Amino acid sequence: MASQKKGGAMSAVGGFFGAIGGFFKDFGVAFAKGDIFVKLSVLWMGAGYARRKQYIKALIMTALEAAIIAFTLTFAMQYVPKFGTLGTVVMERVFNMKTMKSEFNDYDNSFSILLFSLFSFVVWAGAFVIWMRNVVNVYRLQQKAEAGEHINTFREDMHSYIEEKFHITLLTLPVIGITVFTFIPILLLIFVAFTNYDQQHMPPSALFTWAGFSNFLSLFGGGLTTTFSYAFVRILGWTLVWAFFATFTTYIGGILLSVLLNSAKTRVPKLWRTLFIITIAVPQFVSLLLVRNFFSNGGIVNTICANIGLTGFLRDIGLVSTSYIPFLSAPGWAHVMIILINIWIGVPYQMLIATGVLMNLPSDQVESARVDGAKPFQIFKSITMPYMLFVTGPALVTDFVKNINNFNVIYLLTEGVYTTTNQAMANSQAKEVDLLVTWLFRLTQDYYNYKMASAIGIIVFIICAVFTLFAFNRMIGNGREEDYQ
Amino acid sequence: MKKMKSNRTSSILLHNALIAVLAFIWLIPIIWLVCTSFSAYSGMNTSTFFPKEWSLIHYQKLFQPDTVQQFPRWFMNTFIIACFTTVISTAFVLMVAYATSVMRFPMRKPLMNMGVILNLFPGMLSMIAVYFVLKTFNLTNSYAGLIMVYSGSAGLGYLIAKGFFDTIPRALCEAARIDGCSEARIFSQIIIPMSRPIIVYTVISSFLGPWMDFVFAKMILNAGISENYTVAIGLYKMLDKSLINSYFTIFCCGGVLVSIPISVLFFIMQKFYVEGVTGGAVKG
Repeated sequence: MASQKKGGAMSAVGGFFGAIGGFFKDFGVAFAKGDIFVKLSVLWMGAGYARRKQYIKALIMTALEAAIIAFTLTFAMQYVPKFGTLGTVVMERVFNMKTMKSEFNDYDNSFSILLFSLFSFVVWAGAFVIWMRNVVNVYRLQQKAEAGEHINTFREDMHSYIEEKFHITLLTLPVIGITVFTFIPILLLIFVAFTNYDQQHMPPSALFTWAGFSNFLSLFGGGLTTTFSYAFVRILGWTLVWAFFATFTTYIGGILLSVLLNSAKTRVPKLWRTLFIITIAVPQFVSLLLVRNFFSNGGIVNTICANIGLTGFLRDIGLVSTSYIPFLSAPGWAHVMIILINIWIGVPYQMLIATGVLMNLPSDQVESARVDGAKPFQIFKSITMPYMLFVTGPALVTDFVKNINNFNVIYLLTEGVYTTTNQAMANSQAKEVDLLVTWLFRLTQDYYNYKMASAIGIIVFIICAVFTLFAFNRMIGNGREEDYQ
Repeated sequence: MKKMKSNRTSSILLHNALIAVLAFIWLIPIIWLVCTSFSAYSGMNTSTFFPKEWSLIHYQKLFQPDTVQQFPRWFMNTFIIACFTTVISTAFVLMVAYATSVMRFPMRKPLMNMGVILNLFPGMLSMIAVYFVLKTFNLTNSYAGLIMVYSGSAGLGYLIAKGFFDTIPRALCEAARIDGCSEARIFSQIIIPMSRPIIVYTVISSFLGPWMDFVFAKMILNAGISENYTVAIGLYKMLDKSLINSYFTIFCCGGVLVSIPISVLFFIMQKFYVEGVTGGAVKG
């Protein structure tokens, strides 16, 4: 069974490359066996269509080809040739004798070069695919013509986009959206991680250039600055500890709460459930900002603790050294509080999910267990939990990854409240309670240290990806969706 | 017999008391939020849980904008952004879900696998790069930029809707095809009318996105002027160290007012949320 599941994931990867291989093969066959017009289509994309009297299509393809060539000559050529150096001409003010004004020279903007080069690469890749498809399509037309089959008119071709090619109509816009807002940015991020783009190298006034693996080296302890590796190890450690506790406390808590609420003993379960859900229906920026002030150094909880003598007691046993309890402003205290507050905000979510799952819990099993004299705890341990784990296992994995990137909880609770006293951490703009993502956010927003932020981003991705693939491979197979249709 | 019965009653009592205590703990901050919003004092009340004097004055102030606080504007801004986002996101999600669920084409599996890989990149990370891109095109501090960020990649979140479409019997589509119905008509006149629950879910969840979001808005609108903020940024800025003493109660009022519509929508949505999250997993 296990090997079969592994095979599922492997075949997904294999299928992906298989599809690419088949694509190239189709092109090769079409080019080799096609007639002169098919071969001509390699140069003039409209040729094959013109031969089959599909003049409008020929015109469209010709226009597309012209557009791509124009794009290459007028746009891409400004940037792509400089991709290797990311620009050499620094911005300068020069005095122009003609206009008697001081003007900027024709300087290079490293960032524009990088971004627009990547953009050009993506456009070219798209154009390349269209170009190859075009040859394949034209060859199909030739086959059809030779077999004496009907060749679609332009109208019929258009009609096919709401028929068998409807998926193209549906997917074009979303795919463009994903390409522009997810795919290109990720590429960009990966490339920036290998440059020295930071506050000293900010376009347009300065240039940045390729820096190899130096950013990764300084993260892992090599290089000139050791502070980054110092902060990195600690923040990575806390990120993982946080993700572990945040995921499991809310998961277990949610199941317990939903078992409690769904018990036959509960009166008015709907009312109770609603009360718990209110906490998550309030937007996080309201509830978390509120809780942060609730627990602030001079806040209401501290007043109450001082009044009932808790603060004094804690000071006596040496847990606090200040006149207040530093719930969110001292290491240790803040770490524990963040996890506790996250339980508050996360358990109702998990309760909602667990409730939905437990409704489908096979009740005959529970009944027979009860008849056999099983205690509620035994039922929970041997029937409820395994069932929950089976059903919500994949969601657990995604939750763990989400918690690694749980920006809101950490940022809203600690930003502006928690200041680090550790000089080494402060040198790399980090705090003990930071997650990798909040550190990365601060590096870019306040310190313009894009190179390190990008390197950290890639590390986060690798952690998430390795964890997800590993966990999913063990838990579920893919490729079984058809069984349920 | 009687003893057993009283035993059972007390156990029920204990059980419900436990739930009541838990619910109370969970609600403390919310109760505090509502109570504080009715306080007569503008700063944070640190000495007592309930305000010393009750008043509605800060709710009035909330609707009299000043240089810092422009709640009605923020509310409208967020509403506009949310409407655009909802339309675009819902369309993208339904389109991708239908294409991957109902239709069969060679690139289907490779595209879906690409989606899985891209989804592994946390939104936070690509966001920083998106910020670079928007800055290059001068789209930071603009709603257009924010709407694009919210809805541009919405297509990647198609899995829940796909899970729903997967449960619609294929025979229905086949029958329609045999009757000469085009794919576009199957989509718009058979599948969509049957999918009310998932459409409600998609619409509400994409509408709530801009209301709940904090990071993206902060990143993109941060440098702008107060009247262009969304509710999240506006309320966050009110709690600056220099402002908190005069605006904390107004923050609570704003928090209460923005939470009410969101909670209502959330309650409508949560039914579908549970189905969505667990639905895919149950089917394996």
